[in-house]
Amino acid sequence: MTDVRVPETDPFDSAPADSGGQPRPGPGSPAAGPFGLADWLKWAWRQLTSMRIALVLLFLLALGSVPGSMLPQQGNDPAGVQQYYTSHPALAPWLNHLGLFNVFAAPWFAAIYLLLFASLVGCVVPRTFRLAGSARTLPPRAPRNLARLPRFAEYATSLAPAAAAETAARVLSAHGFRLRRPAAPTAPAGTADSGGPEAGDPPGGQEEHWISAEKGYLREAGNLIFHLALLGVLVSVALGGLFGYKADRLLVEGNSFADTQSALDEFHPGRLVTAADLPPFTITLNSFDASYISSGAQRGQPSSFDAQVSYTAQPTGPVRSARIQVNHPLSVDGASVYLIGHGYAPEFKVTDARGQVVYNGAQPFVAGATGNFLSQGVLKVPGAQPEQLGFTGVFVPTAVDIGGTLESVFPAADNPVVSLIAYAGNLGMNTGTSQSVYQIDTAGMRQLAAAPQLLRIGQSAKLPDGQGTITFTGYRQWVSLAITHDPGQLPALICGMAALGGLLLSFMVRRRRVFVRARAGQGGTTMHVGGLTRTDASGAFEDEFASLAAELKSAHQQAAQDQAAPPHVPATATPSEGE
Amino acid sequence: MPVNLALGHVSNDFLIAALVLYSLSVVAFAGDFAFGRPRRAETSGRVQLAQQRAATLATVGAAGSTASAVPADGQNAAGSAAGSAAGAAAAGSGRTDSMPEVALPALRAIGAAGRWVQAAVALSAVGVVAHTVAVVTRGLAVHRAPWGNMYEFVTALTCVAAIFFLYAMIRYRAWMLGVFVMGAVVVALGLAETLIYTAAGQLVPALQSYWLDIHVTAMTLATGIFFVAAVLGVVYLILDRYAKRVAAGRAQPGHPIVGRLPTIEQLDRLTYRTIMFGFPVWTFGVIAGAIWADQAWGRYWGWDPVETWAFITWVLYAAFLHARATAGWRGRRAHYIQLLGFASLTFNILVVQVFIAGLHSYAGVS
Amino acid sequence: MFKAPVWLAGRRTVVLTAAVLTGVLLIAVLVAGWATGGRSNMTEVDGSQSAVLYTAGHRPVAPEFTGTTLTGARLNFSSYRGRVVVLNFWGSWCVACREEASTLASVAALYRSSGVDFLGVDVRDTTASAEAFARSFGITYPSVTDPGSAITLDFTAVVPIAATPTTLVIDRTGHIAGAVFGSTTYPVLTTILAKVTGKTAAVAVSR
Repeated sequence: MTDVRVPETDPFDSAPADSGGQPRPGPGSPAAGPFGLADWLKWAWRQLTSMRIALVLLFLLALGSVPGSMLPQQGNDPAGVQQYYTSHPALAPWLNHLGLFNVFAAPWFAAIYLLLFASLVGCVVPRTFRLAGSARTLPPRAPRNLARLPRFAEYATSLAPAAAAETAARVLSAHGFRLRRPAAPTAPAGTADSGGPEAGDPPGGQEEHWISAEKGYLREAGNLIFHLALLGVLVSVALGGLFGYKADRLLVEGNSFADTQSALDEFHPGRLVTAADLPPFTITLNSFDASYISSGAQRGQPSSFDAQVSYTAQPTGPVRSARIQVNHPLSVDGASVYLIGHGYAPEFKVTDARGQVVYNGAQPFVAGATGNFLSQGVLKVPGAQPEQLGFTGVFVPTAVDIGGTLESVFPAADNPVVSLIAYAGNLGMNTGTSQSVYQIDTAGMRQLAAAPQLLRIGQSAKLPDGQGTITFTGYRQWVSLAITHDPGQLPALICGMAALGGLLLSFMVRRRRVFVRARAGQGGTTMHVGGLTRTDASGAFEDEFASLAAELKSAHQQAAQDQAAPPHVPATATPSEGE
Repeated sequence: MPVNLALGHVSNDFLIAALVLYSLSVVAFAGDFAFGRPRRAETSGRVQLAQQRAATLATVGAAGSTASAVPADGQNAAGSAAGSAAGAAAAGSGRTDSMPEVALPALRAIGAAGRWVQAAVALSAVGVVAHTVAVVTRGLAVHRAPWGNMYEFVTALTCVAAIFFLYAMIRYRAWMLGVFVMGAVVVALGLAETLIYTAAGQLVPALQSYWLDIHVTAMTLATGIFFVAAVLGVVYLILDRYAKRVAAGRAQPGHPIVGRLPTIEQLDRLTYRTIMFGFPVWTFGVIAGAIWADQAWGRYWGWDPVETWAFITWVLYAAFLHARATAGWRGRRAHYIQLLGFASLTFNILVVQVFIAGLHSYAGVS
Repeated sequence: MFKAPVWLAGRRTVVLTAAVLTGVLLIAVLVAGWATGGRSNMTEVDGSQSAVLYTAGHRPVAPEFTGTTLTGARLNFSSYRGRVVVLNFWGSWCVACREEASTLASVAALYRSSGVDFLGVDVRDTTASAEAFARSFGITYPSVTDPGSAITLDFTAVVPIAATPTTLVIDRTGHIAGAVFGSTTYPVLTTILAKVTGKTAAVAVSR
């Protein structure tokens, strides 16, 4: 596609098969006969596969990606989308209709890249055939007047023209050029432009001595490989979308989970994936350690995350242990398990008004944006009698009282304090839609005390109105794991590398032709050397041509020398021209 | 491993030194504009069509002379027939041979360009050395590849840009471009030092991977190369506008600065080749980033804002390459596209990474 | 300077290849966009996919399992062979489970003397909360704890358990005869039990 000299028009025009050699009129031109659907389709196809349209589509692709990065997207940030709805209530539904909250899955975006790839296919396939065809043909005959070529050299040699041409052929062949010599009388039939006197031959059948040399076919091959590999990437992505899946699970230290749909917090299967395709492994989180830099300018920055797990690949299989860290996922039975996030899960024990222990466990809290892992969460105790209890809480890992408010100054739990606000009433959990474990609906509840209750580990608080007691018994950490499977991953990588290879080939290899003509004249043979490249990025060809010309010249010199005074060799050696 | 603060300070000092040296080289380049030798830039130090030359070379062969008739070290602009051929000894010359010359070696070309260019190149070269030392010592100080936050990234990419430009400038003898590119490097480096400086420190766990060396290195290299191409593109647009105004009769031809710059075609080709160098590196960087993303986040492409803008940049540079092959889109329009690509690249680094929340927020800038 | 190129194949071949490739491209993208998974061999109870009866001869075998009940006792599922078992996967945190809890309690009482046992599988839960749940809704039948979803995993291999709650009805031979995906209701559960035990609810009561 970077070939400047390829004409803009469709190469089909150069050999029209069915219009009897006349130029095919476009739609609407006065010379057109009845213009059917087929002709319109052909016209549309020709437009689609033109470079101009490809350019427009590339622009559209870039432009269409912009809103996908500026607006919150449903796939990456569903909470952000929700927030956009609340902050822009009038605008958000319109943006949703346009598909701007899920740009990369939107039909209009798919249309852009589909058209682009169709244009790609329509361009690449004919060129592939053309390349295969040109690989079987010889370079063209050497032009009469090489001086008109962009690169030209002229010098004299005392060798006979035939010998000079042969020497040149040897030099060029050694550089990897494909050669063509003047037609021999016994040229095989069927080769294009071979045999017989031709229009360019000098009158009177005077023998011509020239060599045509061409090199650099790999350039177009690289170009085509690059574009086809991009198509391969698209197919790989589709493959992953069909047969891959993503899942999430939050796991508190000491707990385990089995890889089954009802045990996963989120499950996004590909179109052809069902829950039965999940590998039946079980993972237990034995411990999680996060270490933080404790001093200096980077105090508080995490320095390592380490999850120690034990797992079984099947329910009856052996138990293995592993470490999951960021950048070091666990590979189990075709799926990969990644450590995505972590946090604190404070432990509580709640006794209700009747003295029954109605809650005793860890509840994950989620770190907010304030930093140093100040985390927020809720605790819902629907089993409390006579009234259900609920708490909103803040967990402060390293609590320091700054100006009356409790702040966390370090992300590790060096001085954990939890602050709770208690509610009693109806949690709304007995009927209706399911609730998030991290959110509480206090609409049907009353707050029991105005001020939040602060607790350290081991401390209890008696709830007002005799509603019971809550004890902050300790804390554990939790990790969030992502389980993914993408069969299109490896094909995409291979296609990506192939694209890169094709790209490098097409950029580094130049298609070039070198012609050598030897004309007998008085005092020896005049050598004309001409060269040109097909493409624009030909800077290095100047150097290459110059050094080729120099090498040809010195080869001819050497050959002439050897002819005049053969090197001192033993008698058995046959004299030959130009060693 | 603790950060070696002393080495970090050494790195900073060398960076300041580089900044000073680059600034001086910009002054020297500007001095060449004002006071240097009048000449037109040659892309490779030689003249195009050899027939205009009156080089006389011995006919070879008959006398069996051992002269190397090849003018191995070509001829400078003054046009003297320098060939080491034993031309005078040959009999019956009378024949004019014309051979394309091989390029003048670099040092001689620099010497031929005048004192201002010599000074500028020397200052740039020493500046590049200091810059490289700064980058390397920063890496040694933090025991990892020194592009883990935006400050380190910008210092590294300007180093790449400077090295690349130095190479291209010497290879193509494009001295006049020095004032533009090195000037841009000075500005970028200065902004990095003043606005986004971050002390040497450790990396967050997500960045502790050998993929940092691979992915960010590739992006740094590509950005540095595209940086040079962008500057050249701006120069191209200025030249093109001037040429159009001259053609329309609205400006005087023979502007002194323009006269010293390369021709429009040469500039266009140089920019094209620069982008042809940078585009595969950017492609590789994106692929390496996808591999790393899969290792760290569980998916190789998630349309994270930074990923999306890297994709947009890639598409725009691809559009540039297509435009150059499309009639009516070469020249000015193609360079607009190229500059748009660089703008999206810059937007990605400066705005998207810092302000748009995503998985890529490692800028280190608060 | 450069001749018109020689084509390797005729024009028709080229067009055909291009058309086929584009067609493959289109199909790949369309399939990726609109393909859905498939299902199989069961009949629906209430007109939706959420409650199904497995036809005799096509009933999957219920896996064996052992567990610990909420009171701490060991329980082996094989001890239930010969009886009809209603196996209910639930959790105290689950709103739909709270919705169906009283239905389960009353149907359990209804069919107790007809050879039907109810057994709960308490998933992703803690003992104190689970016991509080049982107290709140008057659930007297036992539940085994399944904090790591291991029992759920075993059953998911034979029945597509997607979420909590799920209720399975297992016949006397240890095969799964019916399933309710989502919260169960009185009519649905009694319909299934009638089919499996041969006794309708009215008959069960009158016993």
